[in-house]
Amino acid sequence: MPTFKLDGKSIPFEPGESIIRAAEKAGVEIPHYCYHPGLSAPANCRMCLVEILPAANQRAMMLDIVEWDEKLGDYRTIKKPKLQPACQFPATDGQEVLAEQSPHVIAARAGVQEFLLLNHPVDCPICDQAGECKLQDYWLEHQQTPKRMHDEPVHKPKAVSFGDTIVYDAERCVMCTRCIRFMEEVAKDPVLDMRERGNLKEVIVAPGRKLEGHYTFMTEHVCPVGALTTKDFRFKARVWFLKSAKTVCQGCATGCNATFDYDPRTNKALRYRPRDNERVNKFWMCDEGMLSYRDVVEGRVPEAQVSGKTVKIERALEEIKKRFASVQKGSIAFVLSAKHSLEDNLALFELAELCGSRAIYTSGAPAGYSDDILIHADKNSNTAGIQNLAPDAKSFDALLADARAGKVTHVIALGGAAPTDDVSALEGLQGLCVVAAHVGPLTRAASVVLPASAWIEASGTFVNAKGMRQLAEKGTEPLGSAEPGWKLVAKVAVHLGVEPSWTTLKDVRAMLVATSVPPPEPSQTASAE
Amino acid sequence: MAQAFPKKPASPPNAVTVAYTEKTPTVQSYLPEIFKGLGVSMSHFFRNTRDMLTGERPDPVTERLDDGITTIQYPEQKRPYPQRFRGVHRLTTRDDGSPRCVACLCCSTACPAQCIFIEAGEYPEGDKRRGYERFPVRFVIDELRCIFCGYCVEACPCDAIRMDTGIHPVPYDSRDQFIYAKSDLMGLAARDGSHETANPRHEPGDPTHPGIDREHGH
Repeated sequence: MPTFKLDGKSIPFEPGESIIRAAEKAGVEIPHYCYHPGLSAPANCRMCLVEILPAANQRAMMLDIVEWDEKLGDYRTIKKPKLQPACQFPATDGQEVLAEQSPHVIAARAGVQEFLLLNHPVDCPICDQAGECKLQDYWLEHQQTPKRMHDEPVHKPKAVSFGDTIVYDAERCVMCTRCIRFMEEVAKDPVLDMRERGNLKEVIVAPGRKLEGHYTFMTEHVCPVGALTTKDFRFKARVWFLKSAKTVCQGCATGCNATFDYDPRTNKALRYRPRDNERVNKFWMCDEGMLSYRDVVEGRVPEAQVSGKTVKIERALEEIKKRFASVQKGSIAFVLSAKHSLEDNLALFELAELCGSRAIYTSGAPAGYSDDILIHADKNSNTAGIQNLAPDAKSFDALLADARAGKVTHVIALGGAAPTDDVSALEGLQGLCVVAAHVGPLTRAASVVLPASAWIEASGTFVNAKGMRQLAEKGTEPLGSAEPGWKLVAKVAVHLGVEPSWTTLKDVRAMLVATSVPPPEPSQTASAE
Repeated sequence: MAQAFPKKPASPPNAVTVAYTEKTPTVQSYLPEIFKGLGVSMSHFFRNTRDMLTGERPDPVTERLDDGITTIQYPEQKRPYPQRFRGVHRLTTRDDGSPRCVACLCCSTACPAQCIFIEAGEYPEGDKRRGYERFPVRFVIDELRCIFCGYCVEACPCDAIRMDTGIHPVPYDSRDQFIYAKSDLMGLAARDGSHETANPRHEPGDPTHPGIDREHGH
């Protein structure tokens, strides 16, 4: 692999890579606003300027500049090497690049930073980006001088609504054009552009259009400053109070890697941010996915229910014992859910084994919208997982048909979601126990519902459509009296008179190794931010 | 081998010999010394009574060095505080009487005693500030926890919280009275009686606002 030297450190690169990208992969950060690894490099923020030393047989390109001389009391002309933007300059073998070690680069960074802050309103107290803003970070890292311009800064439109999701503040904008390029290159909908020149420049929406589509939230996510804010997260929290959990989006079978931000003091979910994974979602997430953090509280099953009445879990388990007492264990049907984690499904699958039942069916949410960017038609996060776990499981339609035919009388199911809304065939069953995190057709038809914890309330693994097994960390504390699904399945097993072979998450994970589910994938991070 | 009467250990090298009063016959007979001591107390008593009647008070700054009364008849008499004394917090107001605070939570973040609680809220629909900033629905300071360090004032980017009232926390007889809500904090005034600050604020939509807003483009 060819290498170049950055500040004396040898850095390998793929041919054609820019200096900033190669440095980023090697863990050296060159400050930047407009460069984003998933977008084209416009080199218009000038923050990533580096000094590239000429080859041995060449002279460096020098610029004549004037510098104030204290001793002389006058300006004098000096020469300065022409700096190059690292985001556009391709790395070449044996090249020597200076960044931190070059006084010219350090001066340029401070200068660019001061220039960007000239007309900045500095309304950090009312800005949602405060705490994760690149202007703040780089001011501290590269400038640290107070403002020298005491005139009134140029004022531009504030709090302009770009659409149903995004609000724009032109005064905070540093014109990095990331949002414009994102809409053009990734979302394939060039609805944003800029107008005017210099310090009057502002981003606008195409006349007669709104910023809409399935990827509007990403414009806010790529914005390095507080110019774009989402109406959903606006004014909700200050980011330095939030904690993050690395999780996997449950919106569809793509299984985008995401960071789930929540307030640990109030146990309140606040937002999703995409986590970069080169092989799954690169750097992006769709709007539906970004908003699916709300599923932590929306449409949940917080308490156990018996025939629609809220009861304690123990009482619901007694009810299961009563209803399932008359049935042969081998004839109980088990329904795996593509909406639940592998651990929950494996626990139920194991229970079916212990009961000696061969009647295993699958359920999940119905298919929906898809596109060729990220959104998958399959709206279940774990379809591939249960296919690997139980390859010969029957479909949900088969379950309905068997229930109508009277082959199935007692069902233990996971998850409330079902491919069809019409589950009337299941309503006449003698026993339908559903362990679910979210309400759905199955929970409505169920005689006993047990509250499982949602994906973010318990650590779990999910297999996406590409067959990659991904781990989701635990974030918030469970809602109401919810417990992890595998734990509830163990309790159900005890009340069915079966000895469960697992008591802890470790046991379940150990059982997972023996199944035909692919091993976990190492995350291919691309470190966008 | 244990001794019945072990030798007294040698005194440590850093021991200091203490001189004590020689037991002369006057000391041994008690009474003369008692009357001497009473004399000292009585002389203080009469001098203090005289000072109280004539209204003379020692200089409060040097009183610890004076012979006079060192007791203060609080709260009728108060010791003068130095100029740098801050006093309890107050929330400054805008021209229309609403708090300047935008609920950025910098003060509660900076507070080492964690005595500031703010619940942020959005301005109601139709308010000209809606969409620009937030306001504190609740702003509570627990004055019992507060250590009066002034970090909240340092942290506040909007000059919304100040400690220039010069009032030190009033003694109360129950804990909940020390918990100052937003209305209490906004009711306190600076030493000069003002509720605003000298720093101007230009609201969006005000004629003084230099910029343009969502209604006024270029």
